[in-house]
Amino acid sequence: MATTTFTVAEQKAQDRRTRRKEAKRNVWAYVFVAPFFFLYSIFGLFPLVYGVWLSFHQWDGISPMKWVGFLNYIKLFTVDDVWWQAIYNTVWLFVGATIPQLLIALILAFIINSGYIRFKDFFRAAYFMPFVASAVAVGILFSSLFGLQYGMFNFFLSFFGIDKIDWLGSALWLKPSIVLVTVWQWTGYSMIIFLAGLQSINPELYEAARVDGADTNDVFWKITMPLMRPVILFQVVTSIIGAMQNFDIPVMLAGGTQSSAPGGTDHAGLTAMMQLYWSAFKYNTGSKSGFGYASAMSFILFFMIVTFSYLYNRANGRNLTED
Amino acid sequence: MATNDKALSRRRFLRFAAAGLGAASVAGVLAACGAKKSDDAAAGAEATKAPEEGKKANVELTFWWWDGNGQIWADAYNKLNRGATVKFVNTPFADSHDKLLTSFASGTGAPDIASLEIGRIGGFTAKGGLADLKSAPFDGGKYEKDMVKYKWTQGSTTDGRLVAMPWDIGPAGVWYRTDIMEKLGLPSKPEEIEALISHTKGKKWEDFFALSQQVKEKSGGKVKMVADAATDIYGGALRQGGEGYFEGMKLMIEEKATRPAQLAADYRKQGLDANIAWWGADWAAGVKNDAFAGMVIACWMQGGLTKDQPQTIGKWRVVPAPEASYNWGGSFCAIPEQCKNTEMAWDFLTWACCSAEGQNAMFKPTGVFPAYKPAWADPLYDAPQDFFGGQRTFRVWGDIADNVASISRSPYDLQADDIVNAEMAKVMKEGKDPVQAMKDAEAAALKAIEGSTP
Repeated sequence: MATTTFTVAEQKAQDRRTRRKEAKRNVWAYVFVAPFFFLYSIFGLFPLVYGVWLSFHQWDGISPMKWVGFLNYIKLFTVDDVWWQAIYNTVWLFVGATIPQLLIALILAFIINSGYIRFKDFFRAAYFMPFVASAVAVGILFSSLFGLQYGMFNFFLSFFGIDKIDWLGSALWLKPSIVLVTVWQWTGYSMIIFLAGLQSINPELYEAARVDGADTNDVFWKITMPLMRPVILFQVVTSIIGAMQNFDIPVMLAGGTQSSAPGGTDHAGLTAMMQLYWSAFKYNTGSKSGFGYASAMSFILFFMIVTFSYLYNRANGRNLTED
Repeated sequence: MATNDKALSRRRFLRFAAAGLGAASVAGVLAACGAKKSDDAAAGAEATKAPEEGKKANVELTFWWWDGNGQIWADAYNKLNRGATVKFVNTPFADSHDKLLTSFASGTGAPDIASLEIGRIGGFTAKGGLADLKSAPFDGGKYEKDMVKYKWTQGSTTDGRLVAMPWDIGPAGVWYRTDIMEKLGLPSKPEEIEALISHTKGKKWEDFFALSQQVKEKSGGKVKMVADAATDIYGGALRQGGEGYFEGMKLMIEEKATRPAQLAADYRKQGLDANIAWWGADWAAGVKNDAFAGMVIACWMQGGLTKDQPQTIGKWRVVPAPEASYNWGGSFCAIPEQCKNTEMAWDFLTWACCSAEGQNAMFKPTGVFPAYKPAWADPLYDAPQDFFGGQRTFRVWGDIADNVASISRSPYDLQADDIVNAEMAKVMKEGKDPVQAMKDAEAAALKAIEGSTP
């Protein structure tokens, strides 16, 4: 057995050769993953970086771009109270809609999964149905149901002697109305995710618990809930992301017309995304609107999403999805 | 158990397969239809090419508008074989202007002919992106004398370029339903109502309030004169002082909006309107239920009412508004700088907006009222209108249009509109003092645009 000795230079050359050989051997793998990176850099990465670049400019889309440094951010943080009102509304709608939505969805999923009821497929499909409808159709439907003089809701309330409620017109009722529609549309989706989570729990655990004398209450709190934490975490995080970008339902219900402003009375239904869109495309002109200003808004939103998600993760102990 | 599973999955598989086949065959049929259509189109293009010897090749122009009726122009123009085929694209109003803006920002994707609405025109005339229709290859200057005056000013920039050609205007007045007025035992002939409320007879908004009071009393409060004071009264009174809240670049919210806001607040306080918000399902239901006897709005309402409320056709009449004539809405046509076929785009635009033929081709079926005055000479304008029960309304609109005060637009129009509307909502819904509300609106608008140079 002869031993071969290498000089350092030879060893390096050898390594290079191996690396090149490896790359050559895997060339098709690179070719196959290339389209994703190609498309991502055009449609994902470039707009992202360009957005950061834009947020330091004042630009209406037509005139030359004007560098303003951090001025957009400074204005947003110091003088733009409509923006903070929009943020407040967004968070309000997130809390107001997400908590009931997830609670109802979890309960429904537990019931459907429990084996107490028949026609599971039917219920599953029925609850999921609203999610399939487009937000625009939902918006038109509900703005008619919410009508002040001829709406269905007020018609029903009149049987109980309750006065007409100006669902979409009054600052007090606009947010609850948006919450109602959001919960109606999204509960079915959350329920399906919860259901998938419930079905992935090993039934042997339940059997073992039963043998040990646990009742339904114990089973739910001691087995189902702990094992569902990753699914709940997923739901909360996606809800945060979704709620921070809440746009279509508020626009359909309070998007403004020839004679009303977006967000309705007292901007009660104005979400951050609405304000962002209006600033970029509708108002467009001036130092407190336009593409640059709106980009700055979007990065503030981005960091809020990251922060909220991180805080929730922390509050929940360690990241259970990595178990 | 296992076999059962298998059977199930097999059955499922077959079901999916059947569904897939069905979908595929539908797609096939659709594709076939599509193919046939484009064949037809090609044949059509061939046919148009044939008769025009010596002319250059047929070019395709895209034309954006937010109303399906744009096809009327495309069809009429394409029949003339002038060397271009117009392809109409229906761009929903909510994002039509945004799309145009995006195409300017990205430097590509703009149509050959774009339409712009009065509320958004200020944002476009103040910036670049649209070609000057007065300098070569265009010669739009010669149409100035033919256009309604205020409209020409709006389409022009401060340095005198014309970037948007006036298309249609929105002469507005008081509409009312004869059937409801008759039922209530009130006068219902246009001459009678005109004598009661119109500025042509020296009447003021107070007189309109008096008539509204009568409608309310005679019906025992069941029927009101109009749907929503925020739109009918405020919208009308504001526009009588010139649409928008600016004079040049000077913000004038307090001066312009305070009295209209007071009028609307009073009207609501006296319970004279039906408190039904415009443009929605509630409003449509209100018309069907005869909840209000009239409205204060522009001529373009005719198109929508014909389509959505055909039972009211023939029952409407129109008279000039109290205090003054005014305009509400209207549009422009423009040629973006990105346009490649400027010659044919100009040919289409001048045919559409600056000829009686083109303007009336659109006006006759839709009521989109031409800003091009020579178009009004057509005998069409003296014809009695079925929609208005035989009233010769086109003359009424024309007389109104010729008497509208000049209106200036600014790039902040939409922002100011929204700020004032937000305050108006507080006035109407929460009883806020209109004087204070307009003070607050002025302050908010100043804050929103301060430090800006357009």
